Amino acid sequence: MREQQYYLGIDVGSVSTNLVLIDDSEQIVDKIYLRTEGQPINALRNGLKDMASRVGEGIKIKGVGTTGSGRQLASVIVGADCVKNEITAHAVAAQKLIPDVRTILEIGGQDSKIIILRNGVVYDFAMNTVCAAGTGSFLDRQASRLSIPISEFGQYALRAKSTVRIAGRCAVFAESDMIHKQQTGHSLEDIINGLCEALVRNYLNNLAKGKDIQDVVVFQGGVAANVGIVAAFERALNKKIVIPKYFDVMGAYGAALLAREKMQKEGGNTNFYGFNITENEYKAKSIECQGCSNSCEVIEILSNNSVLARWGDKCGKWSEQISHAVNV
Amino acid sequence: MAIKVGIPRGLFYYRYYPLWKTFLEELGADVVLSDHTNKRILDEGVKSCVDEACLPVKVFHGHVLNLKDRVDYLFIPRLTSISKDEYICPKIGGIPDMVKNTIKGLPQIIDTEINVRRSHKNMWKAVMEIGSYFSDNKFQIRKAYNKAQKVQDMYDGAVRKGRLPSDILNSFQGDNTNFSLIRMDENPDRMDVSLNRADVNPNRNDVRANHGSMQRGQSLLNILVIGHPYNLYDSYINMDLVKKLRNNGVNLITVDMQDESTINKKASFLNKPMFWNFGRLAIGTAMHMLEKGNIDGIIYLMSFGCGVDSFVCDLTEKRVKRMSTIPFIVLTIDEHSGEAGMNTRVEAFIDMIRWRKKDESNISALR
Repeated sequence: MREQQYYLGIDVGSVSTNLVLIDDSEQIVDKIYLRTEGQPINALRNGLKDMASRVGEGIKIKGVGTTGSGRQLASVIVGADCVKNEITAHAVAAQKLIPDVRTILEIGGQDSKIIILRNGVVYDFAMNTVCAAGTGSFLDRQASRLSIPISEFGQYALRAKSTVRIAGRCAVFAESDMIHKQQTGHSLEDIINGLCEALVRNYLNNLAKGKDIQDVVVFQGGVAANVGIVAAFERALNKKIVIPKYFDVMGAYGAALLAREKMQKEGGNTNFYGFNITENEYKAKSIECQGCSNSCEVIEILSNNSVLARWGDKCGKWSEQISHAVNV
Repeated sequence: MAIKVGIPRGLFYYRYYPLWKTFLEELGADVVLSDHTNKRILDEGVKSCVDEACLPVKVFHGHVLNLKDRVDYLFIPRLTSISKDEYICPKIGGIPDMVKNTIKGLPQIIDTEINVRRSHKNMWKAVMEIGSYFSDNKFQIRKAYNKAQKVQDMYDGAVRKGRLPSDILNSFQGDNTNFSLIRMDENPDRMDVSLNRADVNPNRNDVRANHGSMQRGQSLLNILVIGHPYNLYDSYINMDLVKKLRNNGVNLITVDMQDESTINKKASFLNKPMFWNFGRLAIGTAMHMLEKGNIDGIIYLMSFGCGVDSFVCDLTEKRVKRMSTIPFIVLTIDEHSGEAGMNTRVEAFIDMIRWRKKDESNISALR
């Protein structure tokens, strides 16, 4: 029997770092969802360590894909074959699990997106603008302010008895509105439900504006775990929302699929450094370059005292000294 | 010693610098330009400017601070209107006042109003007033302006041929600013014109060579990028959008490259004239490009809190979506210096366009 081959997908997001291992027939063999907790390198190492202990370090990795806002960083540390943006990764993953998908709602830690697919192709998409209101990190913050575990947040909304309107346009407005409502005696359940509705209203208003939301509607990203938001979406759209089985690691799954596609098309060996990289020390150092008045914030990724990568300089003075140039 | 006149490298610098510089120099002044936008200019601009202003106005304040101690005059004309029956924007019209009231220790400001809303003849009134700071000789002022206008025409002509204003302005470094070098029939190899020609042949090697990380077998994409010149051509403000697009194999087409009479014709479908100068240019260009049918996508670059863009962008997007299936994306910029958000949007947009193109030619949906 031929040795089974695997592909690894890594999604380093603002709130969570996810890893997915797929086999040659695109089935998910293992998945890991970890909180990034502001330290993507640590999260990535822990994730790899966990995975190695579960599937065995010796398995044959044929290709690695990275995505998420930390995709460059992840790529440098693990040695990726394919570095892709989250939109493409999410679309590819959703389509694999739900081939009829025509609308993807995705709410992550820092970003929210809507992706419209037609004939299996990304036809249109939108992302939230400069502000992160209504995304996972804001829900996280509210949950911790109210001392409710985020995993139970949605259940509270489902127990609401009456509607409370919360301002949804801006996280700061929403928070002050929530506090005002709470001080006038509204129940926590009603307020949380109001918040869920506000976020959905805001999302549909901002991102979905003018877009034709057709069935099948898939909801993915960490926030899809929040049953309160799911219910609010179903009410607002008057449509059934499908939550894929692996909703919380779809980006990573997409990255793995893209890596497999690329390696099968182009052949060659993977750039993956192997699971034992978790034994290395990684450090990110930030230097403010004094070379000119731009004062670029240069980031240096060090492993065991050697520089793996540098980025953040506008002129290339720092990044070009390193073979691993990180380009857009 | 010649009088030193400072021109802040912000707002309408990208549109009128050749005109202003030539005019002032012909009258014997030394023109001093502020540095390229950098972190310090941004930080100090944000610190001194009122909080509610948009990013380019804040950055302009930074440029004023960068210049104020090394010049005798600051050239900050009050641009009320630069086209008949239209305004630019209230913040730009009020910029001399904002600067005067927020920054202390300024040299004298040349803040002559330029307002041709009713008639272009008003331009001469403004020219004479600015000229009077340097000369009593009306004939000399008129002559200087005529020469400046010729230089500006050359610049505009080169832009219309497809060169980016930032490429032209940045190719003149230091004291070596000789605008007579700009010619419409410029040798493409020397001046990089090929990079931005809409009708460029995608298979030409010299074009390809300018798109470093472009993958083999990828064709050049023609993308219309709508944005105010001060956002689009300031690589610091927009986090190097032009370079990012070029690295992804994009040939940029901008509003400034279009012939204004064509734009006017295309914008005339609106049931009443556009109030804002940029609004007409933006929507007219979008309509023109849609009709020509040779663009692959439209990017609308706006700064957060821009009053004009808030509805011009919406109007443009709705029109584009009604008339075509061309991909459209809005990129919003503010003080953010983390580039991840911008990179993701640009990359995903380009990916989508290429993916859709592949689908149309039935190759493979999944790359």
